[in-house]
Amino acid sequence: MVTNRMKLELCNITKSFGEKQVLDGITFEAQSGKAFGLLGRNGAGKTTSIRILMDVFPPDSGEVLIDGRPIDYKKVQIGYLPEERGLYPKKLIIDQLVYFAQLKGMHRRDAVAAVDFWLERLGMSEYRNRRLDTLSKGNQQKIQLITALAHDPDIVILDEPFSGLDPVNAMLLKDVVKEQISKGKIVLFSSHQMNYIEEFCDNIAILASGKVALTGNLHDIKRNYVRDRLVVQTENPEAVKKDFGDCCTDIPGGGLMIQLADPGEKKAMMRRLVDTYDIDSVKVFEPSLNDIFVQYAGTK
Amino acid sequence: MNQFGKILRFELKYYFKNKIFVGVTVALALLIAAVMFFPRISEAMQSGETEGGETEANPIMLVQVETAEDTDMIRTAFAAAFPGYDVQVTDKSAAEVQDQITAGEAECAFIITSPTAYSYYVNTLSMYDTNTEIAGSVLQNLYRMNAMIGSGMTPEEADKAINVEIDGDVVNLGKDQFQNYFYTYIMIFALYMVILLYGQMVATNVATEKSSRAMELLITSARPTSMMFGKVVASCLAGLVQLVVVFGSAFLFYNVNKSYWADNSIVQSIFNIPVDLLVYMLIFFILGFFIYAFLYGAIGSTASKLEDINTSVMPLTFLFIIGFVVVISSISSGNVDNTIIKICSYVPFTSPMAMFARIAMSSTVAWYEIVISIGILTGSVLGIGVLCAKIYRVGVLLYGTTPKLGSVLKAVWRA
Repeated sequence: MVTNRMKLELCNITKSFGEKQVLDGITFEAQSGKAFGLLGRNGAGKTTSIRILMDVFPPDSGEVLIDGRPIDYKKVQIGYLPEERGLYPKKLIIDQLVYFAQLKGMHRRDAVAAVDFWLERLGMSEYRNRRLDTLSKGNQQKIQLITALAHDPDIVILDEPFSGLDPVNAMLLKDVVKEQISKGKIVLFSSHQMNYIEEFCDNIAILASGKVALTGNLHDIKRNYVRDRLVVQTENPEAVKKDFGDCCTDIPGGGLMIQLADPGEKKAMMRRLVDTYDIDSVKVFEPSLNDIFVQYAGTK
Repeated sequence: MNQFGKILRFELKYYFKNKIFVGVTVALALLIAAVMFFPRISEAMQSGETEGGETEANPIMLVQVETAEDTDMIRTAFAAAFPGYDVQVTDKSAAEVQDQITAGEAECAFIITSPTAYSYYVNTLSMYDTNTEIAGSVLQNLYRMNAMIGSGMTPEEADKAINVEIDGDVVNLGKDQFQNYFYTYIMIFALYMVILLYGQMVATNVATEKSSRAMELLITSARPTSMMFGKVVASCLAGLVQLVVVFGSAFLFYNVNKSYWADNSIVQSIFNIPVDLLVYMLIFFILGFFIYAFLYGAIGSTASKLEDINTSVMPLTFLFIIGFVVVISSISSGNVDNTIIKICSYVPFTSPMAMFARIAMSSTVAWYEIVISIGILTGSVLGIGVLCAKIYRVGVLLYGTTPKLGSVLKAVWRA
């Protein structure tokens, strides 16, 4: 089912609910074999974008393309782990997992085999014939993950996949995600836990108020940040602060940030700092994804 | 279509694996078996009692005649008219008779003060006490007989004149409403119960999926129309299965005990339903079921919490109950061709019950009326089905407070 290379594009998607414009020209692209991070504050339009991508409702304008052509939902399989978790609490786990796999087009026998494979893979085989509501929250989440993966989809959409998992289960999920990426699938991540996005995602899009505030390769985004700030660790911060005045600020958690007037004076300034003060380390400031997120997704 | 089949199977499994559903169905079948076997069992028990030589004594009826000369005649006439009583003549005073009745020594008493007047004493006047009517006609006949004898007739001639037998023959060219009444009533009641119960079940089922958030996955896995139709058809089949089990077991047990019911014309009429009426019943059941189940499903999809369901479905349930009351009061009055029921038999929300009642009990329903009614109903089922699937699609993603009907329809219009 999975093609060698695949490109998913959302082109200029708009969507309004009543008077409220929820999406206003959303455009981004994701590649197979790579994970894509879809970021944004609550209500920025992530879930609506995902629902349009999954054809729950059509966009007012714009298109979803696969390799440049409108997506054919009969051919492209999508697996989805919604942020709002929930299955049938009173039903047997095997019954509902097979049901969902069948709804995705699998034959019963294949569905049973796939579900059993995943139960085994996630260490959940013993719960196969139990009711869902007898499981702990973390285990229910693992069961829900199977609904997103059992039918071997081409596109895997994971909305806050790590929330509520203990560190051991988080490791297990990380392995599964890496496996999906290496299998050449498009993995779409939506999360507020930036460390996971940084760990997995090559490309990101930050949505703010229904628009794409920033999109591209995460590494490039970081590199292209204006390199006009230095992070300094020193035994004697007061001396530095006294000399630099307003250009020098404390970094929460330790260290100083020195704002340069021009990125070009970076080298000279580093040398001057090392020569003049008792410096432990000095380096160019590279923003974390968290910083980037706060800058772009924050209130404008 | 493929998805529809899978959803249908999953939903059907929900009913057939549901212990309450299975339990209620079996319990109903057992109840019907008990009713149908009742005459056989009670007869067996009675014959056992007679063999033992103990029959229950009839209750005592006291008769006190103040005009002494007719006492024998009155006693004989009363004994003949009240075979269920042990009629005893008494000469005690009214006060003593009353004491006897309150003490439970006798059940009731007639104190006849003149050939045309009496007082009736009874401890508890039952709703169905016809004793006074019988006593009235006995005394009337005695009075007439005495008058005839007084004017020169022999007692035999007078007796013959009063108790003359009339031969009558009824030629019914249309429908026998008395005979049709009972099964029409039963079928409409079954229709009413099943639609109301299963409609609520569909609504609850949808709302449960929504409140447990299983909907988030469902809506991204299957078409809303497939889901809606799958659910409704599954509940319709489950309802039909229940009806078939209940009526089937009734029919089976009736035939096993047929001879014991031979003298009960009502029960006999119930089991002599013409086949064409059964077919109409099936058609109206399915169409009526669908129209309400779709609406219940759509309403269920707009509720965010299970608690909201009861209030949300109230208008629809009221609509249905009003239709039911109109139909039941029309068939009870015997006038199944009044204007209201005629209108109701074309309105899709009431026509399943109203048109069925008219077909069963009226002789004036033309074939084209039936065709038009079924046509309107079928069209409405399709229209409402599509509309409800749209409401469902919009409704299931709306969380928070239950939206107003207008805003849902607006959202549907835009979608």
